[in-house]
Amino acid sequence: MVPDPPEDDRPNPWGRSDEAEVAPAAPTDRHVVTVAGDDAPAAEQFNCPNCGGTIEVKAAGYTVSIACQYCGSVLDISNADVRIVARYEEEVRKLELPLGSRGTLRGIEWEVIGYLRRSENAAYPWDEYLLFNPYHGYRFLDTDGRGWSLGRQLTVAPQSLAMAGFTVEGEFYEPFYAQTRAQVDYVLGEFYWQVAVGEEALTADYVRPGKMLSWESNAREVEWTLSELLEPNEMTDAFGIDPPRGGGLPLPHQPSPYREKAGKMLKLALVAAAAIILVTFLFGGTSDPQTTTIRLATNGVEQEAKIGPIELTRPRQAVTVSARAPGIDNAWVDLAYLLVERNSGIVYEASNVVEHYSGYDGEGNWSEGSDGSSSKFSMVPAGTYDLMVEAAGSQWLEGQYAPSNGADVEVTIAKGATFFSNLIFALLLVMAPALWVWFKHLNFESRRKSDSDFGGGDDDDDDDDD
Amino acid sequence: MQSENCPNCGAEIFFRSPALPAVICDYCNSTVKRIGKALEKIGEVAALPFDVSPIQRGTAGTYDGLNFEVIGRIRLGYDQGSWNDWLCLFSDMSHGWLSESDGQFQMVVEAPIDQVAGDAVQQWAAGGDPEVGERVEINGESFVVTEARWAKCIAAEGELPFAATTGWDVFNVDMRNADGFAANFEREEDGPGLYVGRYLTLDELSPRNLRPIHGWAMPDYGA
Repeated sequence: MVPDPPEDDRPNPWGRSDEAEVAPAAPTDRHVVTVAGDDAPAAEQFNCPNCGGTIEVKAAGYTVSIACQYCGSVLDISNADVRIVARYEEEVRKLELPLGSRGTLRGIEWEVIGYLRRSENAAYPWDEYLLFNPYHGYRFLDTDGRGWSLGRQLTVAPQSLAMAGFTVEGEFYEPFYAQTRAQVDYVLGEFYWQVAVGEEALTADYVRPGKMLSWESNAREVEWTLSELLEPNEMTDAFGIDPPRGGGLPLPHQPSPYREKAGKMLKLALVAAAAIILVTFLFGGTSDPQTTTIRLATNGVEQEAKIGPIELTRPRQAVTVSARAPGIDNAWVDLAYLLVERNSGIVYEASNVVEHYSGYDGEGNWSEGSDGSSSKFSMVPAGTYDLMVEAAGSQWLEGQYAPSNGADVEVTIAKGATFFSNLIFALLLVMAPALWVWFKHLNFESRRKSDSDFGGGDDDDDDDDD
Repeated sequence: MQSENCPNCGAEIFFRSPALPAVICDYCNSTVKRIGKALEKIGEVAALPFDVSPIQRGTAGTYDGLNFEVIGRIRLGYDQGSWNDWLCLFSDMSHGWLSESDGQFQMVVEAPIDQVAGDAVQQWAAGGDPEVGERVEINGESFVVTEARWAKCIAAEGELPFAATTGWDVFNVDMRNADGFAANFEREEDGPGLYVGRYLTLDELSPRNLRPIHGWAMPDYGA
């Protein structure tokens, strides 16, 4: 899936271009725009040799190429004269950030002095504005309609790591767009290099949340640009333009809006879960066990035993009855418990079984069941209780009831209980919201990476821990 | 500092260091060279074309712990553009060049070629041609050639280590490495020269007395 390229509803002013024509140098009328006071002037001026419009050069001394803001003709001003490189006669495009507009981004005031419309072979077009401040040099302001990024050219070379990404200024960038060909479709304003419509360059992009590292190679040079994604309100505050319209896929370097929240919620949920587990074991568990052992014949005959008295003092409490029949095999013990209050005669009933089987078949030895089981009574009122146990053991061997080997069943009653099912339910409840936000984060990341030439989507390889 | 008079127009000119024997007269743009005790007009330079560089003669700053002052400039141009090399006199009387191109700065000082370890530079010094994109070793550091072209002196001002005149040709090779280090190789009539240093932003030089430019707020540090 690729994103819908932003629509270009602006008229293409490029009619006929006389690029082949080598225009004679126009009579030079370049002059400095004088200012009052001691400050150095900030601009020089001349008349477009094609249309006569007054052009101001804002980055005098750096600018070598100008596309006239009135007629679009491309002029070479690298020498004292002004030479027409390409003559155009059509009305120029209206720019979202008009040439000459100024805005303060991240503490530095910038003037818009140049504009490039670029694309990949006329698809996926994007706007690139050149910003200038004499004390801070140049910056690039890029948008494809989904958001704005502020870029600066690097003077260090990013370091290539084994992981097919690049590290610059101590931060790792993963590959996003593979090498592709970008072209210039339209130019306006002034540039420190010789601009030309149709000029091509190879590009590749690497990203990390909030930042993009772009490689660009043309016939003359290789350049790296590091761009930071701006918040929508930053452009509104700086240049008074409307925030980018939303929708479409996330930008390659757009940080997941869920990641931080998911992380925080997950941490909170883990703390809560730890607290719940702690409370369960602190206030769970059993005390005051009383045990009786019943000797069974394992012939199916019921035998009875009684444990008591059991004094329950709290208004409501849990009681755990557990049974163990060590050493039984291919045998089961049916157990019925009656918890009887001595004064009121109220009875609480439960039943359970202890069973264990083993044998040998084509897949080898097998066994199932265990030699123990436990039953829980909850919300038992205070009182003096007896536990009546009815136990019956049976043995099964080679497809039939077998003669008794006998078995000892050890029955223990104790106050309190640990309800593990409640614990698991509580943990799920506590973790669910965090897991939901985490899921949304993963979904965002997968949408973001869906436009990448390097797939992704197969894992969450965010390696930045917060 | 030594005060003299321009042999062409009589205006006062200054020589701050014996290592900097040339001066461009601020009044008549004559290139004046000091030979022994004598002053000689070698030629003339054109008036500097207007630019909005934030640097001016008198801008001061600090580089590698040494204070410096900008005392001269040579402006070089080629078919794709032009740049400024600002001459910086350090407090120990050595000098370096603050090179300003496309809004980016690098400070470089001369490294005597005969003491430089690096085959490529030795070959270039002997007349060999570098290629853009070529990787070269200089004193154990790996550099990439980013530009190699003939340039011409457009204009100059102030004090200089050589007598620049307009039209003077120089073959200039720019190199950079992964860590922001920069190297320039130059070959001109008087022979080859190698300059090494690093890229930096203006604020890293703690500059003072930057050039005030109309309509632009000077950075807090620059006044």
